Amino acid sequence: MSVQVQRLPYGVGRFQVGFWLFILVLLSVVGWGIYAYSRQLVEGLVVTGLRDIGTMGGAAWGLYIAFDVYFVGVSFAGITMAALIRLLRLEELRPVSRMAELLTIVALVLAAFSVLPDLGQPVRGIVNLLRYARPQSPFFGTFTLVISGYLFASLVYFYLDGRRDAALLARIPSPLQGFYRLWAAGYRDTPAERERHHRAAFWLAIAIVPLLVTAHSTLGFVFGIQSGRPGWFSTLQAPAFVVMAGVSGIGLLLVIAAVFRHVLGERERLHEAIFRWLGGLLALLVLVYLYFTVAELLTTTYTGHETEVRLTLALLTGPYAWLFWVSMGALVLGLVALLLPYVPSVVPVRVPSFRPAFTRAAGLAAAGAGLLLMIHRHGPRLAPAAGAGPEPEWVGWVLAGLAVVFVLSWFPLFARSVVAAGVAGGLLVNVAAVGKRLLIVVPSQTHGTLLPYGPGSYTPTWVEYSVVAGLFALGTLLYTLFVKVFPIMEVAEEQ
Amino acid sequence: MMRAAWTLLLVVAGFALQAVSYFFLAAPLGVPTGPVYSNPRVPFAPAVFILGVMLVFLAAVVYELLPESGGRTHRGTG
Repeated sequence: MSVQVQRLPYGVGRFQVGFWLFILVLLSVVGWGIYAYSRQLVEGLVVTGLRDIGTMGGAAWGLYIAFDVYFVGVSFAGITMAALIRLLRLEELRPVSRMAELLTIVALVLAAFSVLPDLGQPVRGIVNLLRYARPQSPFFGTFTLVISGYLFASLVYFYLDGRRDAALLARIPSPLQGFYRLWAAGYRDTPAERERHHRAAFWLAIAIVPLLVTAHSTLGFVFGIQSGRPGWFSTLQAPAFVVMAGVSGIGLLLVIAAVFRHVLGERERLHEAIFRWLGGLLALLVLVYLYFTVAELLTTTYTGHETEVRLTLALLTGPYAWLFWVSMGALVLGLVALLLPYVPSVVPVRVPSFRPAFTRAAGLAAAGAGLLLMIHRHGPRLAPAAGAGPEPEWVGWVLAGLAVVFVLSWFPLFARSVVAAGVAGGLLVNVAAVGKRLLIVVPSQTHGTLLPYGPGSYTPTWVEYSVVAGLFALGTLLYTLFVKVFPIMEVAEEQ
Repeated sequence: MMRAAWTLLLVVAGFALQAVSYFFLAAPLGVPTGPVYSNPRVPFAPAVFILGVMLVFLAAVVYELLPESGGRTHRGTG
């Protein structure tokens, strides 16, 4: 049996010791997240850092909503790429199509799970949404179009797209044969069936593209149409959400593609052209997002309402400055990393180079400084609490400086390898995406109230960090398990 | 032919459900002047809208999986 199982392509059905250890680690983190959430369910939201806006000087939306927005953003890449590959006939990107589709599904599941902990009574929230929601509300659009419509459409697309491979794998005797037969549902890869699938997938793609733009825009409108909340009320909110969604999703897709290229040894199928294509698209989206950011900042600081200006200053030079500049720095560094492989060798660009020992030391120091910062503050504080003592702001800046040195030290590698540049760019823009999501959600609540309340603060607790860590582990677990039961890339006939 | 008919039926039914729930079952459109604008006219109208969205996409599954007319079906592939 084992000989037959090994015939399954891309490591499907092969469970080694390392795999089980990895699963054990992931299950432990998921378990810890569930334990943390159970504390919240038993004791209430008081165990989190979430508090009422104004009267309690806090933020009602925090880490959970920021990561909900982040996960929805990540989901953008998958089905968009799959649809674009189909509609624009981008055949060279086909190997990443299924990875992207799976990323969408997993990210949407995580997005749904991120919202639930933010509700004091999650079950009541779900039932009341289906019972009373107003379809005119962007909240309704977010939960129907994003969570239901978008997830359902992605599942349909994913299922139909996988039938051919399921049919091919069902020919190979293996413990998973029954599962493949069920998935294939009678598919035999005849020319007529292939033609029918192409037609169905084409129309699905046509239907999905406007759906996903609408879905991501409604999430932006949740913030963008709140006229009484400086920092949120902006026309650019919805398009910026769509662009940032593309940035985080394609960034993560680059990282995942590189991981599979390395783990599966598929250097030919996951060739450099894929990374060049995705990296170029990512760089373009980052440029558009930077343009949006500059336009927004210019508008708010030049003619903005007094509260709007105060909020913007809190971002640029105030308590949120460290997060804002770290996010922007990560975005710019990611862009530079993505563009480095395109600099022609004839252009005399001097890429900074450091000794490896110095690089490692800078990385270790950055990690150490980060740890010290967390211990000192009992968790990274997003804004100083009222009456709190002086914060060691310099620690944050030293940490950021060391991180920059660490990234710069890898630049020579990025200039040589488009894959390494893609991974670095993908990771950096995702750091920026998480930071930007936090900056969208939190400061407008603590520093953007029009009522005469003083500035508030928000410090996530161990419960929130644990739940978010558990969600990341759950996503990785789902992705990893799926990869072991179904090929992550399209199977060639000869395989 | 049968397959196309079922597919079309699902698409039309899906869009119809969306339109009906949005315009006639959910909270009324217009300037809100009372609580009537906050509550749906029929409970679970939003769920009907979601069902409509799902039906439209389910049409693709029906189109691919439904056997040819005349009852010709394919057995497993193994």
